[in-house]
Amino acid sequence: MLLMTGIDKRFGGVHALDHVNFAVRPGKVMCLAGENGCGKSTLVKIISGVYTRDEGEILFEGQPIHRITPADATRLGIQVIYQDLSIFPNLTVMENLAINSEITANRRIVNRKRWEQTAREALSKIGYEIDLYAKMGDLSVADKQLVAICRALLFNAKLIIMDEPTTALTKKEVDALFKTVRQLRDSGIAIMFISHKMEEIFEISDDVCIMRNGKNVYSGPTSELTKKDFTYYMTGRELVDNYFVPTNISKEPVLKVEHLTWKEKYHDVSFDLRKGEILGITGLLGSGRTELALSLFGLGKVDSGTILMNGKPVKITSPIAAQKLRIGYVPEDRLTEGLCLQQPIADNIMLASLKQLTRTLGTIRHDEVFEKSNEWVKTFSIATDDAHKHASTLSGGNQQKIVLAKWLNNDLDVLILNGPTVGVDIGAKQDIHALVHDLANNGLAVIIISDDLAEVVVNCSRVVVMKDGAIVGEMTGDEITEENILEVIR
Amino acid sequence: MKRKNLEKNSYTYMLLGLMAVTLLFFTILKGNLMWKGDVWLGMAMQFPEYGVITLGLMFCFICGKMDMSFMALGDFATIMAVRYMSAHADGASQVGVILVGILIALCIATVGGVINGLLVAGLDIPPVMATISMQLVWTGLSVALTNGNSVKGLPALYTEIGHKYLFGFLPVPLLIFLVVFLVCMFLLQHTVYGEKLYMVGTNIKAAQFSAVNTRRMVIGTYVLCDVICCIGCLIMISTMAGAKADYGTSYVMRCILILVLAGVLPNGGMGKIGNVLIAIVTIQIIATGVNMFSNLNTYYASLIWGALLLIVLIMSTRMGSGGFPFRLRAAKQGSGKA
Amino acid sequence: MDKAKLKRMTRRTEFYMFLVLILLAVIVQIKSGGRLITFPGIFTRLNTTVLRTMVVDGMFAMCCLVVMISGGFDLSFPAVAALSYSLATTICLNNGWCQTSPLAGLLLAAAIGWVLGMLNGWIIANFKLNTMIVTLGTQTFFTGVSMGLLALKEITSTLPEGMKAFGKAFLLESADPATGIRFTLSAMVIFLVLLCAIVSFILNKTMFGRALYAIGGNEVSAERAGYNVKRTKFLLYSSVGAVAGFIGMIRTCMESQSIPKAMVGREMTIIPAVILGGASIYGGEGTVFGTVVAVAIISLVSNSMLILGIDTYWQQFFNGLVILVGITVSALQARRKH
Repeated sequence: MLLMTGIDKRFGGVHALDHVNFAVRPGKVMCLAGENGCGKSTLVKIISGVYTRDEGEILFEGQPIHRITPADATRLGIQVIYQDLSIFPNLTVMENLAINSEITANRRIVNRKRWEQTAREALSKIGYEIDLYAKMGDLSVADKQLVAICRALLFNAKLIIMDEPTTALTKKEVDALFKTVRQLRDSGIAIMFISHKMEEIFEISDDVCIMRNGKNVYSGPTSELTKKDFTYYMTGRELVDNYFVPTNISKEPVLKVEHLTWKEKYHDVSFDLRKGEILGITGLLGSGRTELALSLFGLGKVDSGTILMNGKPVKITSPIAAQKLRIGYVPEDRLTEGLCLQQPIADNIMLASLKQLTRTLGTIRHDEVFEKSNEWVKTFSIATDDAHKHASTLSGGNQQKIVLAKWLNNDLDVLILNGPTVGVDIGAKQDIHALVHDLANNGLAVIIISDDLAEVVVNCSRVVVMKDGAIVGEMTGDEITEENILEVIR
Repeated sequence: MKRKNLEKNSYTYMLLGLMAVTLLFFTILKGNLMWKGDVWLGMAMQFPEYGVITLGLMFCFICGKMDMSFMALGDFATIMAVRYMSAHADGASQVGVILVGILIALCIATVGGVINGLLVAGLDIPPVMATISMQLVWTGLSVALTNGNSVKGLPALYTEIGHKYLFGFLPVPLLIFLVVFLVCMFLLQHTVYGEKLYMVGTNIKAAQFSAVNTRRMVIGTYVLCDVICCIGCLIMISTMAGAKADYGTSYVMRCILILVLAGVLPNGGMGKIGNVLIAIVTIQIIATGVNMFSNLNTYYASLIWGALLLIVLIMSTRMGSGGFPFRLRAAKQGSGKA
Repeated sequence: MDKAKLKRMTRRTEFYMFLVLILLAVIVQIKSGGRLITFPGIFTRLNTTVLRTMVVDGMFAMCCLVVMISGGFDLSFPAVAALSYSLATTICLNNGWCQTSPLAGLLLAAAIGWVLGMLNGWIIANFKLNTMIVTLGTQTFFTGVSMGLLALKEITSTLPEGMKAFGKAFLLESADPATGIRFTLSAMVIFLVLLCAIVSFILNKTMFGRALYAIGGNEVSAERAGYNVKRTKFLLYSSVGAVAGFIGMIRTCMESQSIPKAMVGREMTIIPAVILGGASIYGGEGTVFGTVVAVAIISLVSNSMLILGIDTYWQQFFNGLVILVGITVSALQARRKH
């Protein structure tokens, strides 16, 4: 259906796509896989007409396509569902469904009846039911996604491209989405599914195309690929799993949580944490794992239950209180919660520990900030030549190291890492893991919150599994395997 | 290294260029008249009042917050101060009365700042909305208490401040401005507060996750802003020899204009105090320059200011990213919505 | 009405605003001894003044509303209106137009406003700049043009007869039963009703109107959906300019005088009213009904002060208080939702 050969694209000196070939077959699901920044989204933008290619040929249904604009793509039957879904949160479901086709039809006047008809027609394509007059912004992500799919189907789509559709979905919602995808596939629509999650790719796809550094390193049927090969193609190296071996676990727990409850989010959570161990907390999105961490860091509510630090009950009402109790937290969303992107690297590193550098009258010396943060730049080998540069100039992995350094510059007892390697390339991922191992063995108590099971298995000496706001399983040592976790997680 | 510095300060150089161009413009048109000592002394008398106010507002902008209420609050505070001073003007100790009057004004400004801060940081009301309504409240109070008339009867000593030259050449308002400027510069560049302020302005959530007390920062910044603005208003009542509910109204837009021209945007986290000084002086040169033409009224200055702002805005979009912060950042707007 | 519809209605801010309006009206009616609405003569000094205030403010609020829905923020409309009406009146006066009919003046003002609006639209659509900052610049610029460059004079008694007569035109007349004085319903109310109807039609029934909501909701999505965002914005700001000029002229006729300065600072009272009516400063929200109700509440509150035994000087204060309370309540509501 869609055949692309020798697609080449350069941005200035960057070779974004290096002669990429791939094919999408009608009635099949093709997965485009790759780590962040491998050129996946550039490729999508070439197909949808946002960018033009420098070289290469595109055949769609046997017809060569030379120049294509976004409007042409729609006419041909190519629909892209972007990661942000391109919806209007302030409009109703009906309007969201109908507006695109009304614009394409070049209408001037709004006819409610026709809009409603269009919307119903769209919903009927996948037999999905929802209140047409509900406000889009009030829906769950999964519902928004289904609405976006319905909208795409209105244009007699022959090829639907879904850009990372599962990132914000719970497992249940992913299953529902996959059901819809299979339904579409069976009706003869080609689907291009972009993802970097291995389990999903093996579950849904018929064909797979793996990209690395702007080249496609593998394309072919999914059934001919093993998981090990997959990882190799994705990362470009044989991964040696560097398992964490705790050497220095204290007798007394440094942190003890008893029957902690935040009514709307989680209930009756109890666990303890010793120095020198790495405790994994895993669970699906919405299982309460992040909220639990927020409560421990003073940003979430505690309705009942107690938190004990070194045996003493404490109340953590704000991040400042948490910091005083020597608890640090590396947040889930680096860009909105972790960094001030438009500020220098040095200032970002020192933000949580400015007290150390404060002199009389609340004054501070900038060269001291710079020197101190330069030490961290060296220890963590953060890839920058000047710590005065803005944090936005760095890659994801290096940015994450800044957030880590920010907390490690404080004297900590407990460090909570929420999704420590989300959106981090594989090299930096291993660096960060090794670093965390060292920290733990030097007497820090670490909590890793993650839904990346491989990460949890490799790095944690103990794992707590959460589901629907409660702890449903706890494992130590050899019990920690992906299979065991999966068994209780759903 | 040198080149990097050039890039970093390119906006400052552009502003300096702008100032030079305006100076040149008026020099060509008016010749030596522009370079008489009196003209510059006159300028030094005029700009301190709104200069100080602008410096106050700068803190709010760097913090990523808007304040529309500062002039209304300043007018109200000074009205109360003038009322007190005029009631006790006959007494023996003028200095004491004046000091108490100033203290009253500053206390009111502090209260106003705390209210702004609580509305914004405590109740999560968007700053523009909260401060516009506070502006109406303060102006309303001023009008109600004065029936819309100006309040006069300041002690003679106080009105002198606004017209006096220290040692025969240093205008007192300029001295106050310089002191405030140095204090502000110190706060921004050499204190932990200043360091945190830029971070909070860039990303308040990240600052909160880094154990910065963001609520206290926001409230504190509003207080600082309103208190400094009030100092500006205290200079203003001295030159005007009285206070009125709408004396400062025209300054609201002028101060915002200066800050934007200086590259201090209400988006937060950016701007240099040096640029603000250059912008203030440029704006004053234009006003004074226009004043030298007997056939032009003062509104010509406003014409030039507006045109200048628009040209700088448009130019900034043409000249790429280096140091020009005016472009609307869609991402930032989007995150504000959540 | 079915249940779902009722439920949806009660969830809207406008619904509660309307209840508040009715409650206020009842209080005023009782407290004033039935002066708000009387029988058989309908009009009293109170309700005609309320309506007169509503006409101008309500129409300006419509301009403001459409811009806010699109996610913009217009500070320049009072300056646009002022420049349009004062320039148009001056031209009419010099040419001896408008002696019998005000049509030439109205069209001229609208045309001037349209040109000014185009400047706004051109800058905002082409350079993707922050609308608040751009309109701040154009506001300063336009004020400079009207009072500096053109030095437009106040025109009071010499206002063309056609305009004066037009401003005095009325629809209905009745006598106040208590005093016997006759009061009239100004014909200008027609324009308010007409404008509200047109804006409401555009917003709800045309693709252009939906485009405004879509752009305010998510500009990137609107572009991807196929809207020409640039053209839409240009069209929006230029037509708002035209409408602002037109309204300015109507105001001139109603007041029987053209004063260039009269509109200064007007945005500060109208924008809060629009926000009170449920429009969001982040864009994508707001209705004609809510805005009209908010404007009605404000003009009711400010005009019934005297009758309720409150000094009129407190009017502005209570205006501010009403808006502050309204905004706080809706902010608290939004917070509970999350």
